[in-house]
Amino acid sequence: MVREIVKYPSPLSVEYGVDVRVFDEKLFALIDDLKDTMNENNLDALSAFQIGEYLNLIIIRDGDTFLELINPRLITHSGRVVTEEKTAYYGDLSANVERYEKISIVYQDRDGNNKTLQADGSLAVVIQRKLDYTFGATFLGKLSESEREKFEAKLQYGADVGTADYCPTTFFRDKILKAINISMLLMVFALIGSFFVSEADVLESMWHYQLYASFFVLALNIFYFFYAQYEGKIYTSCTSCQIGNIVGTFAISITKLTLLMVASYFIINP
Amino acid sequence: MARLVVLGGGVAGHTTATFAAKWLGSQHEVVVVTPNAKWNWIPSNIWVGVGQMTKDEVTFDLASVYAKAGITYKQAKAVSLNPEGNESSDKPFVTIEYTSKSKGGEIENVEYDYIVNATGPKLNFDATPGLGNGQGQMGTHTVSVCTADHAVHASHKLQEAIDKMKAGERQKFLVGTGHGMCTCQGAAFEYIFNIEHELKKAGVRDMADIKWISNESFLGDFGMGGLHMKVGGYVVSSKLFAESLFAERNVEWLIGAHTSKVEEGKIEYELLDGSKGEEEFDFAMLIPPFAGVGLKAYDKAGEDITSTVFAPNGFMKVDADYTPKPYAEWKASDWPRTYQNPTYKNMFAAGIAFAPPHIISKPMSSPNGTPINPTPPRTGMPSGIIGKAVAHSVCDLMTKGEDAHLHEASMAEMGAACVASAGKGLTTGTAAAMTVYPVVPDFEKYPGTGRDTDYTFGEIGLAGHWIKHILHHLFIYKAKLNPGWTLIPE
Repeated sequence: MVREIVKYPSPLSVEYGVDVRVFDEKLFALIDDLKDTMNENNLDALSAFQIGEYLNLIIIRDGDTFLELINPRLITHSGRVVTEEKTAYYGDLSANVERYEKISIVYQDRDGNNKTLQADGSLAVVIQRKLDYTFGATFLGKLSESEREKFEAKLQYGADVGTADYCPTTFFRDKILKAINISMLLMVFALIGSFFVSEADVLESMWHYQLYASFFVLALNIFYFFYAQYEGKIYTSCTSCQIGNIVGTFAISITKLTLLMVASYFIINP
Repeated sequence: MARLVVLGGGVAGHTTATFAAKWLGSQHEVVVVTPNAKWNWIPSNIWVGVGQMTKDEVTFDLASVYAKAGITYKQAKAVSLNPEGNESSDKPFVTIEYTSKSKGGEIENVEYDYIVNATGPKLNFDATPGLGNGQGQMGTHTVSVCTADHAVHASHKLQEAIDKMKAGERQKFLVGTGHGMCTCQGAAFEYIFNIEHELKKAGVRDMADIKWISNESFLGDFGMGGLHMKVGGYVVSSKLFAESLFAERNVEWLIGAHTSKVEEGKIEYELLDGSKGEEEFDFAMLIPPFAGVGLKAYDKAGEDITSTVFAPNGFMKVDADYTPKPYAEWKASDWPRTYQNPTYKNMFAAGIAFAPPHIISKPMSSPNGTPINPTPPRTGMPSGIIGKAVAHSVCDLMTKGEDAHLHEASMAEMGAACVASAGKGLTTGTAAAMTVYPVVPDFEKYPGTGRDTDYTFGEIGLAGHWIKHILHHLFIYKAKLNPGWTLIPE
């Protein structure tokens, strides 16, 4: 019987993959279902987890026949290889996953006999991918950080195409904004500090400080205004309201600076 | 006045003896026979093994504590049991050999009305050639953290390795199980990550290659067939949990391995797939397999009845179902409930000393027929709970008569919490806290994994380390019978 394959975003691991303990007709029927589902969907391999049966069971196509791996365990491994993988759970999406080049596994056949299998090349990779499922995971956990970010972007768009860029969570322009705000905070401190100073020469040097600082902040604001727009154009996929934000932020910052300087002119300037 | 003799002063024995003494008062006598002068909080030996605690911090003298509790303390090891007495007397007795400095080697027959066997394991180093010295003690090629003294020795060796790395010499660390039938993967698991943590602190992590070797068939089995943790509605297998931790800390692993031979700087192993290999090392901590302490038993006529009282591995037979059965037919009800010996009803076993009916993990063996699977853990929390239940039963038998109802504590109905340290430090420490219920899966009650997932969870972080450190003080406080000790759970 062809079964429905669990697909993203339905979570795979809300249940538990456990070892097969009883080798009976029920198990054989499940193996047949897995094979039917593979034939129907033209798949090379399928784990019981992927059709919602929480057993450590993997079926792999081997030419015209099938390999039935019950309670498989990866024992030895050597070499590393990165290949582009797809899996039915994530539909047509692909990711570059690092796998062992050669592996040996132990498993049980349908009669419960212990078996061993050495594998390399694509067979080794497909076994490892399915082994991930037997303990309730997908290849997502095997991805490098950058590869995972890319893959998560693909998941968002539901396709491999058009995902060359993604939205970073922090931008460089935010750091410029931080520098502007800190500088202006220091200027506010100077303004408050001037109330406690009566000497004219100290006040004069404070006024100079305030003046130079305002030039610096103005320059930073201008840099921000242009750089932020440039940065926005790099990440075209995340332009929503960006330009508006930049202009608004710039305007607010300049207004604050102006108010600060007007106050300083009347209070500090001797 | 009746006499209860408790063999062993570990977690199980100490719990049994102290509670029995409290409940029986001065009406009856409680005798503890243990070869050690000191009590050892074994879980903290890990920290002794990396030089973060001293031996004195994890041990204390038993004599004064037992004097306070009104327990007769004999520093001796049990040699044999005569549950029917001998030709001259019907009174059962245990033969002990003193190990204290003053009376060392002296033999005594101690009569008993009830006896609790809580001897713990024999550290069976000699099961693997080269792991032992051929005389039952640890060999010279590897170190161990099973006792406080072993741990002190391990910390010196570790320091030597660190000094070598500081001098520019690369070192290879191998930590894990020294035999295909070991238990206590948890201790080795803690030790490998504590070493990793210390090497990082010493600034020599880049000079070290660290490798894990274990008889588990998958990483994260822990001798319990693994566990599944619920995190935010999702399920994470202990396999993924362990694999991520190993990958994150850059620790390689070799699993499904039976260490078949140990030499200087090298081990030979056999894997579940039948392949054989060698692994070199500069520093190795390999846990030995456990066996019974080798107690003998004789009937009234002096005939050897050891095989009646003890299982072939030397652990005492209790009310478990020892009929050999295939994995598919294992049941929760196979596991003992009262820990009473079926032949001699005044005999109980607690902690590691009782013979389990079968293992917990899936049984595995290599194509050559070598069994390679973890044996069941019976330490820590389960040990304490069993010890207390046995104390209850024995006290009832002594005070209410032989028909008293026995207290039960099946490992298939018992949860366990385990806090595994992965590095010590007030702000940099980490530990994995895990709870599992029940310890032995009950496939009938909980189809699938055999466990109740609402009570099985795990988490790793700094808070775990704090808990572990607090537990260290709490349990030593309790074992010293300081005020309020009975309020602290097992």
